[in-house]
Amino acid sequence: MDTFLGTVHGLAWAVYVGGALIMELVLRHAQVYMRPSQVGVVCQRAGQRYRWWALASLAVLGFTGALMVLRLDGAELAARAGSPALSLDDSYGRTLVLLAALWLVLLAIVGEIAFRVHPAMHARVSSSMSEQQVRRERRRMGAAIQRMNRLLRLELAGALLALALGTTLRLGGIA
Amino acid sequence: MNLASINWPLLIYSVFHAVAIAVYLGGAIAMEFILMPAQSAIPPAQAQVMGEKTSDRFLKIVWGALAVIVVTGFLRLYELNFLTAGWPPFKSPLDFDHSYGRTLFAMLLVWTLLVLNGAVMTFVLRPRLSGRMAAGTSAAQATSSQNARISAARWVQYLSRADIVLAMLAVLLGASLGLGGLL
Repeated sequence: MDTFLGTVHGLAWAVYVGGALIMELVLRHAQVYMRPSQVGVVCQRAGQRYRWWALASLAVLGFTGALMVLRLDGAELAARAGSPALSLDDSYGRTLVLLAALWLVLLAIVGEIAFRVHPAMHARVSSSMSEQQVRRERRRMGAAIQRMNRLLRLELAGALLALALGTTLRLGGIA
Repeated sequence: MNLASINWPLLIYSVFHAVAIAVYLGGAIAMEFILMPAQSAIPPAQAQVMGEKTSDRFLKIVWGALAVIVVTGFLRLYELNFLTAGWPPFKSPLDFDHSYGRTLFAMLLVWTLLVLNGAVMTFVLRPRLSGRMAAGTSAAQATSSQNARISAARWVQYLSRADIVLAMLAVLLGASLGLGGLL
Protein backbone atom coordinates (compact mmCIF):
# COMPACT_ATOMS: atom_id res chain seq x y z
CA MET A 1 0.00 0.00 0.00
CA ASP A 2 2.82 2.41 0.89
CA THR A 3 4.57 1.67 -2.43
CA PHE A 4 1.28 2.25 -4.29
CA LEU A 5 0.67 5.57 -2.51
CA GLY A 6 4.28 6.64 -3.07
CA THR A 7 4.01 5.80 -6.78
CA VAL A 8 0.73 7.67 -7.29
CA HIS A 9 2.09 10.64 -5.30
CA GLY A 10 5.29 10.64 -7.40
CA LEU A 11 3.33 10.39 -10.65
CA ALA A 12 1.08 13.29 -9.65
CA TRP A 13 4.17 15.42 -8.86
CA ALA A 14 5.72 14.50 -12.19
CA VAL A 15 2.57 15.38 -14.14
CA TYR A 16 2.16 18.67 -12.28
CA VAL A 17 5.78 19.90 -12.42
CA GLY A 18 6.39 18.52 -15.91
CA GLY A 19 3.22 20.16 -17.22
CA ALA A 20 4.18 23.53 -15.72
CA LEU A 21 7.68 23.26 -17.19
CA ILE A 22 6.44 22.31 -20.66
CA MET A 23 4.04 25.25 -20.69
CA GLU A 24 6.89 27.58 -19.73
CA LEU A 25 9.89 26.16 -21.61
CA VAL A 26 8.39 24.47 -24.67
CA LEU A 27 5.09 26.17 -25.51
CA ARG A 28 6.43 29.68 -24.91
CA HIS A 29 9.47 28.89 -27.09
CA ALA A 30 7.30 27.54 -29.94
CA GLN A 31 5.06 30.65 -29.88
CA VAL A 32 7.92 32.76 -31.27
CA TYR A 33 7.72 30.84 -34.57
CA MET A 34 3.92 30.86 -34.88
CA ARG A 35 1.48 33.42 -36.30
CA PRO A 36 -0.15 35.53 -33.54
CA SER A 37 -3.63 34.32 -34.49
CA GLN A 38 -2.52 30.68 -34.12
CA VAL A 39 -0.75 31.41 -30.83
CA GLY A 40 -4.09 32.46 -29.37
CA VAL A 41 -5.82 29.26 -30.53
CA VAL A 42 -3.02 26.97 -29.28
CA CYS A 43 -2.72 28.75 -25.91
CA GLN A 44 -6.47 28.57 -25.40
CA ARG A 45 -6.59 24.82 -26.19
CA ALA A 46 -3.44 23.97 -24.22
CA GLY A 47 -4.54 26.15 -21.30
CA GLN A 48 -7.95 24.49 -21.15
CA ARG A 49 -6.40 21.05 -20.90
CA TYR A 50 -3.53 22.10 -18.62
CA ARG A 51 -5.78 23.62 -15.96
CA TRP A 52 -7.70 20.35 -15.53
CA TRP A 53 -4.51 18.27 -15.46
CA ALA A 54 -3.02 20.64 -12.89
CA LEU A 55 -6.13 20.66 -10.70
CA ALA A 56 -6.42 16.86 -10.87
CA SER A 57 -2.72 16.43 -10.04
CA LEU A 58 -3.01 18.78 -7.06
CA ALA A 59 -6.11 16.93 -5.82
CA VAL A 60 -4.27 13.58 -6.08
CA LEU A 61 -1.21 15.09 -4.36
CA GLY A 62 -3.30 16.37 -1.46
CA PHE A 63 -5.20 13.10 -1.07
CA THR A 64 -2.24 10.72 -1.30
CA GLY A 65 -0.05 13.07 0.76
CA ALA A 66 -2.62 13.17 3.57
CA LEU A 67 -2.99 9.36 3.46
CA MET A 68 0.77 8.91 3.61
CA VAL A 69 1.00 11.16 6.67
CA LEU A 70 -1.89 9.31 8.35
CA ARG A 71 -0.15 5.98 7.71
CA LEU A 72 3.13 7.18 9.23
CA ASP A 73 4.16 5.02 12.14
CA GLY A 74 5.91 7.02 14.90
CA ALA A 75 8.23 4.13 15.82
CA GLU A 76 9.17 3.43 12.19
CA LEU A 77 9.73 7.15 11.65
CA ALA A 78 11.99 7.43 14.69
CA ALA A 79 14.08 4.52 13.39
CA ARG A 80 14.99 6.48 10.24
CA ALA A 81 18.25 8.40 9.95
CA GLY A 82 18.16 11.49 12.18
CA SER A 83 15.14 10.17 14.15
CA PRO A 84 12.55 12.53 12.64
CA ALA A 85 9.29 13.17 14.51
CA LEU A 86 5.81 14.40 13.60
CA SER A 87 6.13 17.53 15.68
CA LEU A 88 6.62 21.24 15.10
CA ASP A 89 9.74 20.97 17.29
CA ASP A 90 11.29 18.79 14.62
CA SER A 91 12.48 19.69 11.13
CA TYR A 92 10.38 16.84 9.66
CA GLY A 93 7.11 18.16 11.11
CA ARG A 94 7.89 21.75 10.11
CA THR A 95 8.72 20.68 6.55
CA LEU A 96 5.38 18.84 6.35
CA VAL A 97 3.50 21.95 7.52
CA LEU A 98 5.38 24.07 4.98
CA LEU A 99 4.49 21.57 2.24
CA ALA A 100 0.81 21.69 3.20
CA ALA A 101 0.93 25.51 3.08
CA LEU A 102 2.62 25.43 -0.33
CA TRP A 103 -0.01 22.99 -1.58
CA LEU A 104 -2.71 25.50 -0.59
CA VAL A 105 -0.87 28.33 -2.33
CA LEU A 106 -0.50 26.24 -5.51
CA LEU A 107 -4.16 25.29 -5.38
CA ALA A 108 -5.08 28.98 -5.10
CA ILE A 109 -2.84 29.86 -8.06
CA VAL A 110 -4.22 27.07 -10.29
CA GLY A 111 -7.77 28.01 -9.23
CA GLU A 112 -7.10 31.65 -10.15
CA ILE A 113 -5.67 30.56 -13.53
CA ALA A 114 -8.49 28.11 -14.26
CA PHE A 115 -11.51 30.10 -13.18
CA ARG A 116 -10.54 33.76 -13.55
CA VAL A 117 -7.50 34.51 -15.68
CA HIS A 118 -7.99 31.89 -18.43
CA PRO A 119 -11.62 32.87 -19.12
CA ALA A 120 -10.59 36.56 -19.04
CA MET A 121 -8.11 35.92 -21.89
CA HIS A 122 -10.89 35.28 -24.40
CA ALA A 123 -11.60 38.23 -26.71
CA ARG A 124 -15.11 39.61 -26.70
CA VAL A 125 -14.93 41.90 -29.73
CA SER A 126 -17.91 42.36 -32.05
CA SER A 127 -18.57 44.54 -35.10
CA SER A 128 -21.10 46.61 -33.14
CA MET A 129 -18.45 47.82 -30.68
CA SER A 130 -17.01 51.32 -30.91
CA GLU A 131 -13.26 51.82 -31.45
CA GLN A 132 -12.87 52.85 -27.83
CA GLN A 133 -14.62 49.69 -26.63
CA VAL A 134 -12.40 47.52 -28.85
CA ARG A 135 -9.28 49.25 -27.47
CA ARG A 136 -10.52 48.72 -23.91
CA GLU A 137 -11.21 45.05 -24.68
CA ARG A 138 -7.70 44.61 -26.11
CA ARG A 139 -6.16 46.29 -23.04
CA ARG A 140 -8.17 43.98 -20.80
CA MET A 141 -6.94 40.92 -22.73
CA GLY A 142 -3.34 42.16 -22.66
CA ALA A 143 -3.56 42.59 -18.89
CA ALA A 144 -5.02 39.07 -18.54
CA ILE A 145 -2.18 37.58 -20.63
CA GLN A 146 0.43 39.36 -18.50
CA ARG A 147 -1.28 38.18 -15.34
CA MET A 148 -1.34 34.62 -16.73
CA ASN A 149 2.41 34.79 -17.49
CA ARG A 150 3.20 35.99 -13.96
CA LEU A 151 0.99 33.33 -12.37
CA LEU A 152 2.47 30.50 -14.49
CA ARG A 153 6.01 31.50 -13.46
CA LEU A 154 4.99 31.80 -9.81
CA GLU A 155 3.30 28.41 -10.03
CA LEU A 156 6.37 26.80 -11.57
CA ALA A 157 8.63 28.24 -8.87
CA GLY A 158 6.23 27.06 -6.14
CA ALA A 159 5.96 23.58 -7.67
CA LEU A 160 9.74 23.18 -7.90
CA LEU A 161 10.15 24.41 -4.31
CA ALA A 162 7.48 21.97 -3.09
CA LEU A 163 9.11 19.09 -4.99
CA ALA A 164 12.49 19.95 -3.44
CA LEU A 165 10.96 20.19 0.05
CA GLY A 166 9.17 16.87 -0.41
CA THR A 167 12.42 15.21 -1.43
CA THR A 168 14.12 16.40 1.77
CA LEU A 169 11.53 14.51 3.87
CA ARG A 170 13.35 11.20 3.23
CA LEU A 171 16.38 12.78 4.89
CA GLY A 172 14.48 14.27 7.84
CA GLY A 173 13.22 17.57 6.38
CA ILE A 174 14.91 20.93 6.03
CA ALA A 175 12.62 23.62 7.53
CA MET B 1 17.12 16.93 13.54
CA ASN B 2 19.19 20.07 12.94
CA LEU B 3 20.55 21.45 9.69
CA ALA B 4 24.15 20.63 10.57
CA SER B 5 23.38 16.90 10.69
CA ILE B 6 21.90 16.84 7.17
CA ASN B 7 23.89 15.08 4.46
CA TRP B 8 23.82 18.06 2.09
CA PRO B 9 25.35 16.38 -0.99
CA LEU B 10 22.82 13.53 -0.70
CA LEU B 11 20.00 16.03 -0.29
CA ILE B 12 21.08 18.10 -3.32
CA TYR B 13 21.49 14.99 -5.51
CA SER B 14 18.06 13.72 -4.36
CA VAL B 15 16.36 17.00 -5.24
CA PHE B 16 17.95 17.15 -8.71
CA HIS B 17 17.10 13.46 -9.24
CA ALA B 18 13.42 14.05 -8.39
CA VAL B 19 13.17 17.20 -10.51
CA ALA B 20 14.77 15.44 -13.51
CA ILE B 21 12.32 12.52 -13.25
CA ALA B 22 9.39 14.95 -12.98
CA VAL B 23 10.66 16.89 -16.00
CA TYR B 24 11.07 13.71 -18.05
CA LEU B 25 7.80 11.97 -17.20
CA GLY B 26 5.61 15.03 -16.72
CA GLY B 27 7.07 16.58 -19.85
CA ALA B 28 6.30 13.49 -21.92
CA ILE B 29 2.73 13.38 -20.59
CA ALA B 30 2.23 17.11 -21.20
CA MET B 31 3.60 16.82 -24.75
CA GLU B 32 1.30 13.89 -25.51
CA PHE B 33 -1.90 15.00 -23.78
CA ILE B 34 -1.70 18.81 -23.75
CA LEU B 35 0.41 20.10 -26.64
CA MET B 36 -0.45 17.46 -29.28
CA PRO B 37 -4.23 18.00 -29.01
CA ALA B 38 -3.68 21.78 -29.02
CA GLN B 39 -1.59 21.41 -32.18
CA SER B 40 -4.47 19.72 -33.99
CA ALA B 41 -6.57 22.91 -33.62
CA ILE B 42 -4.45 24.93 -36.10
CA PRO B 43 -3.86 24.52 -39.88
CA PRO B 44 -1.50 21.62 -40.86
CA ALA B 45 1.35 23.85 -42.08
CA GLN B 46 1.39 25.81 -38.80
CA ALA B 47 0.94 22.60 -36.82
CA GLN B 48 4.07 21.20 -38.49
CA VAL B 49 6.09 24.29 -37.53
CA MET B 50 4.79 24.06 -33.96
CA GLY B 51 5.47 20.28 -33.86
CA GLU B 52 9.06 20.74 -35.04
CA LYS B 53 9.83 23.55 -32.61
CA THR B 54 8.23 21.88 -29.59
CA SER B 55 9.83 18.50 -30.37
CA ASP B 56 13.30 20.01 -30.89
CA ARG B 57 13.10 21.86 -27.59
CA PHE B 58 11.60 18.89 -25.75
CA LEU B 59 14.28 16.48 -27.02
CA LYS B 60 16.97 18.76 -25.58
CA ILE B 61 15.13 18.77 -22.24
CA VAL B 62 14.78 14.96 -22.41
CA TRP B 63 18.51 14.37 -22.94
CA GLY B 64 19.35 16.77 -20.12
CA ALA B 65 16.89 15.03 -17.79
CA LEU B 66 18.20 11.53 -18.67
CA ALA B 67 21.78 12.67 -18.00
CA VAL B 68 20.86 14.26 -14.65
CA ILE B 69 18.86 11.16 -13.63
CA VAL B 70 21.76 8.73 -14.12
CA VAL B 71 24.50 11.02 -12.74
CA THR B 72 22.56 11.97 -9.60
CA GLY B 73 21.40 8.34 -9.23
CA PHE B 74 24.98 7.09 -9.04
CA LEU B 75 26.05 10.01 -6.83
CA ARG B 76 23.22 9.16 -4.42
CA LEU B 77 24.36 5.52 -4.27
CA TYR B 78 27.89 6.73 -3.56
CA GLU B 79 26.67 9.02 -0.76
CA LEU B 80 24.63 6.14 0.68
CA ASN B 81 27.86 4.08 0.76
CA PHE B 82 26.50 1.49 -1.69
CA LEU B 83 29.30 2.10 -4.20
CA THR B 84 33.06 1.75 -3.80
CA ALA B 85 36.02 2.75 -5.93
CA GLY B 86 37.30 -0.88 -5.95
CA TRP B 87 36.06 -4.05 -7.67
CA PRO B 88 33.24 -5.03 -7.61
CA PRO B 89 31.97 -1.47 -7.32
CA PHE B 90 28.60 -2.48 -5.86
CA LYS B 91 28.30 -3.19 -2.13
CA SER B 92 25.47 -5.01 -0.37
CA PRO B 93 22.50 -4.56 -0.82
CA LEU B 94 23.32 -3.72 -4.45
CA ASP B 95 23.38 -7.34 -5.64
CA PHE B 96 20.94 -9.86 -7.04
CA ASP B 97 20.52 -11.49 -3.60
CA HIS B 98 18.64 -8.44 -2.33
CA SER B 99 15.34 -7.03 -3.58
CA TYR B 100 16.88 -3.53 -3.36
CA GLY B 101 19.65 -4.51 -5.79
CA ARG B 102 17.32 -6.30 -8.22
CA THR B 103 14.94 -3.32 -8.24
CA LEU B 104 17.79 -0.91 -8.83
CA PHE B 105 19.17 -2.95 -11.73
CA ALA B 106 15.66 -3.05 -13.23
CA MET B 107 15.59 0.76 -12.98
CA LEU B 108 18.95 0.93 -14.76
CA LEU B 109 17.52 -1.30 -17.49
CA VAL B 110 14.49 1.00 -17.86
CA TRP B 111 16.84 4.01 -18.08
CA THR B 112 18.83 2.24 -20.84
CA LEU B 113 15.61 1.57 -22.78
CA LEU B 114 14.64 5.23 -22.44
CA VAL B 115 18.05 6.28 -23.78
CA LEU B 116 17.70 3.87 -26.73
CA ASN B 117 14.21 5.20 -27.53
CA GLY B 118 15.51 8.77 -27.26
CA ALA B 119 18.41 7.95 -29.61
CA VAL B 120 16.09 6.41 -32.22
CA MET B 121 13.79 9.43 -32.05
CA THR B 122 16.62 12.00 -32.17
CA PHE B 123 18.92 10.46 -34.76
CA VAL B 124 16.60 8.35 -36.96
CA LEU B 125 13.02 9.58 -36.84
CA ARG B 126 13.41 13.36 -36.32
CA PRO B 127 15.67 13.83 -39.40
CA ARG B 128 13.09 11.92 -41.48
CA LEU B 129 10.29 14.12 -40.19
CA SER B 130 12.08 17.41 -40.81
CA GLY B 131 13.53 16.50 -44.25
CA ARG B 132 12.73 18.99 -47.03
CA MET B 133 12.03 18.03 -50.65
CA ALA B 134 14.45 19.48 -53.21
CA ALA B 135 13.30 21.27 -56.35
CA GLY B 136 12.70 18.89 -59.26
CA THR B 137 11.52 16.02 -57.06
CA SER B 138 9.35 13.61 -59.06
CA ALA B 139 5.80 12.72 -58.01
CA ALA B 140 6.90 9.16 -57.11
CA GLN B 141 9.73 10.50 -54.92
CA ALA B 142 7.38 12.98 -53.26
CA THR B 143 4.87 10.21 -52.47
CA SER B 144 7.61 7.96 -51.12
CA SER B 145 8.99 10.80 -48.97
CA GLN B 146 5.49 11.59 -47.70
CA ASN B 147 4.92 7.93 -46.78
CA ALA B 148 8.27 7.82 -44.97
CA ARG B 149 7.25 10.89 -42.96
CA ILE B 150 3.87 9.44 -42.02
CA SER B 151 5.56 6.21 -40.94
CA ALA B 152 8.18 8.16 -38.91
CA ALA B 153 5.43 10.24 -37.23
CA ARG B 154 3.59 7.05 -36.28
CA TRP B 155 6.77 5.54 -34.82
CA VAL B 156 7.48 8.72 -32.83
CA GLN B 157 4.02 8.43 -31.32
CA TYR B 158 4.49 4.73 -30.44
CA LEU B 159 7.90 5.38 -28.89
CA SER B 160 6.64 8.43 -26.95
CA ARG B 161 3.86 6.36 -25.42
CA ALA B 162 6.28 3.52 -24.65
CA ASP B 163 8.51 6.11 -22.93
CA ILE B 164 5.61 7.26 -20.74
CA VAL B 165 4.85 3.68 -19.67
CA LEU B 166 8.54 2.92 -19.01
CA ALA B 167 8.99 6.14 -17.00
CA MET B 168 5.89 5.33 -14.92
CA LEU B 169 7.37 1.89 -14.26
CA ALA B 170 10.60 3.57 -13.15
CA VAL B 171 8.65 5.77 -10.71
CA LEU B 172 6.93 2.66 -9.29
CA LEU B 173 10.29 0.91 -8.85
CA GLY B 174 11.85 4.05 -7.37
CA ALA B 175 9.00 4.50 -4.89
CA SER B 176 9.45 0.89 -3.76
CA LEU B 177 13.15 1.42 -3.00
CA GLY B 178 12.25 3.39 0.12
CA LEU B 179 10.64 0.18 1.42
CA GLY B 180 13.45 -2.14 0.34
CA GLY B 181 12.58 -2.79 -3.32
CA LEU B 182 9.84 -4.49 -5.33
CA LEU B 183 11.45 -7.38 -7.24
